[in-house]
Amino acid sequence: MDFITQLLTDPIGFYNSHTLLIANIGINSILAASMFVVLYSGQLSLAAPGFMAIGAYTSVLMELYWRTPLALDIAAGTALASVVALLVGLSVLRLRGVFLAIATIGFIEALRLGVILNLPITGEGLGLQNPKADPLGGVNMVLVALVLVVFLLWRLTKGRLGHAWSAIRQDELAAMSQGIDVARYKMLAFILSAALAAFAGGLEAHLNFFVDPGDAQYGVTRAVQVLTFAVLGGSGNIFGPVVGALFLTTLPEILRFQGFNYRDIVSGVILIAVIIFRPQGIVGRGGLAIIRPRWWPRAQVSAPSPG
Amino acid sequence: MKGVRLVSFLVGAIIIAACGSTTTSGGNTNTYAGKVIKLGAILSITGAGGVYGPQSRDGMNLAVKQINAGGGILGATITLTINDDASLKATAAQLTQTLIQGEQDLALLGPTLSNSAVGAHPLAESLKTPILAVSTTGIHIVPDCNWSAATQDTTPCKYVFRDSLGEETAIPDNIKSYAGDKHPATGVLLVAQDDKFSSDGGQIVQNTVGQYGINLLKVIKFNKAEPDLSPYVTQAVQAKPDVIFITSLGGIPAKIMTEARKQGWTGQFLGGNGFNTATVSAQAGADGLGARSASAWYLGNTFPSNAEFVSAYRSEYKDANGNPKDPDQFAAQGYAAINILADAAKRAGLTFTDLAGDRDKLRAAMEKVNIQTPLGPFQFTSTHDVKQTVWVIAMDGKGGFTLVHQIAGS
Amino acid sequence: MGQQLLNAIFFGSIYALFAVGYTLVFGILDILNLAHSAVFMFGAAITYSLVVNHGQSFWVACVLGVGACAVMGLVIEHVCLRPLRRRRAPPIAALISTIGLALIIVAAIEQGRPGTFFAWLWVDGANSVSFPPAAVPNPTWHVAGLTLEASRIAIIPISIVLMLVLGYVMRYTQVGRGLRAVAENPRAARLMGLNVDRMITLTLVISSALGGVAGILFGVSLGDISPYIGRDNVEVRGLAVIVLGGMGSIPGAVVGGYLLGLIELIALLARGSSARDGIAFAALFLMLVLRPQGLFGAQLREKV
Repeated sequence: MDFITQLLTDPIGFYNSHTLLIANIGINSILAASMFVVLYSGQLSLAAPGFMAIGAYTSVLMELYWRTPLALDIAAGTALASVVALLVGLSVLRLRGVFLAIATIGFIEALRLGVILNLPITGEGLGLQNPKADPLGGVNMVLVALVLVVFLLWRLTKGRLGHAWSAIRQDELAAMSQGIDVARYKMLAFILSAALAAFAGGLEAHLNFFVDPGDAQYGVTRAVQVLTFAVLGGSGNIFGPVVGALFLTTLPEILRFQGFNYRDIVSGVILIAVIIFRPQGIVGRGGLAIIRPRWWPRAQVSAPSPG
Repeated sequence: MKGVRLVSFLVGAIIIAACGSTTTSGGNTNTYAGKVIKLGAILSITGAGGVYGPQSRDGMNLAVKQINAGGGILGATITLTINDDASLKATAAQLTQTLIQGEQDLALLGPTLSNSAVGAHPLAESLKTPILAVSTTGIHIVPDCNWSAATQDTTPCKYVFRDSLGEETAIPDNIKSYAGDKHPATGVLLVAQDDKFSSDGGQIVQNTVGQYGINLLKVIKFNKAEPDLSPYVTQAVQAKPDVIFITSLGGIPAKIMTEARKQGWTGQFLGGNGFNTATVSAQAGADGLGARSASAWYLGNTFPSNAEFVSAYRSEYKDANGNPKDPDQFAAQGYAAINILADAAKRAGLTFTDLAGDRDKLRAAMEKVNIQTPLGPFQFTSTHDVKQTVWVIAMDGKGGFTLVHQIAGS
Repeated sequence: MGQQLLNAIFFGSIYALFAVGYTLVFGILDILNLAHSAVFMFGAAITYSLVVNHGQSFWVACVLGVGACAVMGLVIEHVCLRPLRRRRAPPIAALISTIGLALIIVAAIEQGRPGTFFAWLWVDGANSVSFPPAAVPNPTWHVAGLTLEASRIAIIPISIVLMLVLGYVMRYTQVGRGLRAVAENPRAARLMGLNVDRMITLTLVISSALGGVAGILFGVSLGDISPYIGRDNVEVRGLAVIVLGGMGSIPGAVVGGYLLGLIELIALLARGSSARDGIAFAALFLMLVLRPQGLFGAQLREKV
């Protein structure tokens, strides 16, 4: 438990000595945000790792071969992912539910195994090395990005886009009959989600000295992990997935005692317990089910928040 | 009053300085009394590398136990944490950060796999912490840990060392010795293209075979996670080579050997460091009989500290049936690594108050290490690498090895 | 080439058997049971453990192994699915809870080492092991330049028999009719007096038992048993198969399995190892785009 004691007694020291963990929490939160966007619009898309890979490889390759500044590299990765998202979306967005999920799994694995592992420039199975990585300095960038992303999405969900997405999520046919251009809004959500994922991928690549095409990085395992952040945290609003990401990224660290090897078992038990006893997620539908301070804005229309 | 205080302060300072001066490295064997030297090992206890990691761990733990029992390093005790990276690059990188910054370890050991080292070593270098690899044998581990095909960067990494004999020496020695014995004419190479160790080994094989008159008929690449290697083995066997080169690790060598024998092939297997542990020999069983590789250590070697190491290991560790367990190359390298660090720590003049300074002092002291280990007399080369005797060994079909050749280090 | 074709058929059979379990649960419950690949691995691991660590004969171990998987099906229903049904949770919750159970099963095997809590289950930790040749009867013949091993050949008749039996049960027995009723409309089925909970339990038990058999066949014929064989080999391929064949269709899963085996073989011969892994997903993607209901599936209904 020294993890918790240090956090409480020496926050600055904790920050300095756990920069990579904090950075990972940040990146996982941005990924969870990417997942939030598609789930909020009613699409069970598991394509995030594929777009992450596009963001990561593009930014690292540009940095290695063209020596362009980091901001440009990540922006390029995000842009490329958005274009790919448009193309992929055109093919799959008419699928629903589990079928969309499987199609997106097909996309990410085809990208990883079919494209990345066969293109010599990506280093194929060995991945790329990124000597210009900056694990210590990168943290601040990630945290600033996270705050901006959360703010952006919070505003979006309160606006017209958010309401359209909500309507689509609840009942696609009804939304269509109300004149909402369902296809366009779904595509927007999909592309935004892809851009966020690519952004997270580029940041992650900047923090590590390598880009690796393994299953745990850009495959189904990652997709499932990101899905779990969002579902465990609750995808009713943007804070849910972020809380989910925070909880699930920190849990293995809290459980990392010497000689205690059953971390994964405990993680699995906690996962099942949370989803059974609180299937709407930790944060749930109406926001944190705790006492709200008086100045917290109240939504005009909201489902009764589960206690 | 102020005057009295000033005088007492001065007297106190003089006394302290006097005490301090008696603890310089002038023969007092308890300079570090009461201090703790924190070491952290990143090993693959699970996953593909889980075949090798536990042996490294056992060798290290034995060394730590012996040193602490013998009074520690100038009175300081060693604490060693073993951290499992599950054979994953990203986990190895994360552990590197946690151990260096969270645990504030003085130095690190590992990781087990060359593939994981790509993630861990550059990070340790950038955080200026010495890291001693105990089983990575791939290329560009030392000294140029930041080398990549795109940048071709050969800047040496000051903080990265290894005590595990590189494949660049081992594989050619193995091929040369077999070529000298049996004069094979043809070979086929099976390589796991998405594993750095295997891929590096494959490259070395391709660069070496020509010199010994072996014609490499085919290079067959596969992915390490594939369940069924029989299509690749079939391709290899159908070419009818004299030799099949297997540069993979973990469970793959045994799989390939079993499959090849099943398909009726009777030629010679030549491998890399992946062969050098009892588990792999046992997995291969009778199908692996005679498979050769070059090892950095052999159970029966006659170096001064080896016999003692072997008997201490056998009394410390037992197998599932309660019989004494023999150490292997990985255990010996782990054991040697702790002794190397201990020797360096002894000479480094550690302050235990300035971690960054201590790490740098340790690094400098490591470069001058010159001790006896079960691997033989040990010194780092100018590139923090290893030069030592090579033992060409062959699997005995029963989970062990026999010695074929001993090649002195050059 | 002939040898490769044989391999494709063996793999096809394993994929098919595995996918049948997957598609059964999806067809009846509309849920993707992501613990299925863990059960696949569990079957192989338990059988190996029984033979090597507990000294059982191979056949007894197989029966017990399949039994253990059937019990695991019970666990899936009672721990992951029923509590969610009771609480009327959204379907995605079932996905997550089965993921959680898969995590637990894999971790329990992965941590099984001598002297630990799970040593009675498995003692080899994360290593990959294979059955000792002496324990498993495996006569091998060399015919017409091909190597035929009993352990691989047996996969074909075993899979076909199991799938035929399942087909018969589903179509001609009362139990089968009950299952199909639940698949059509659980509420109506309950109103008609069917014990829906029991039907669901039965579905999971059958599905898990089939998964276990597939796992044992995999372990025996490929000589590779580790905590990761479910995740690395069949988890996503199973998805590809049920998409190709049509989700919810048992004959579809069978045909899809062999089809995937064949497609992988062609990709392997044409472009090598990496293409072989990626092709399943390319096929899956294409099928979903062009014909989402797969080869045998019903037209996707609009769930209004």
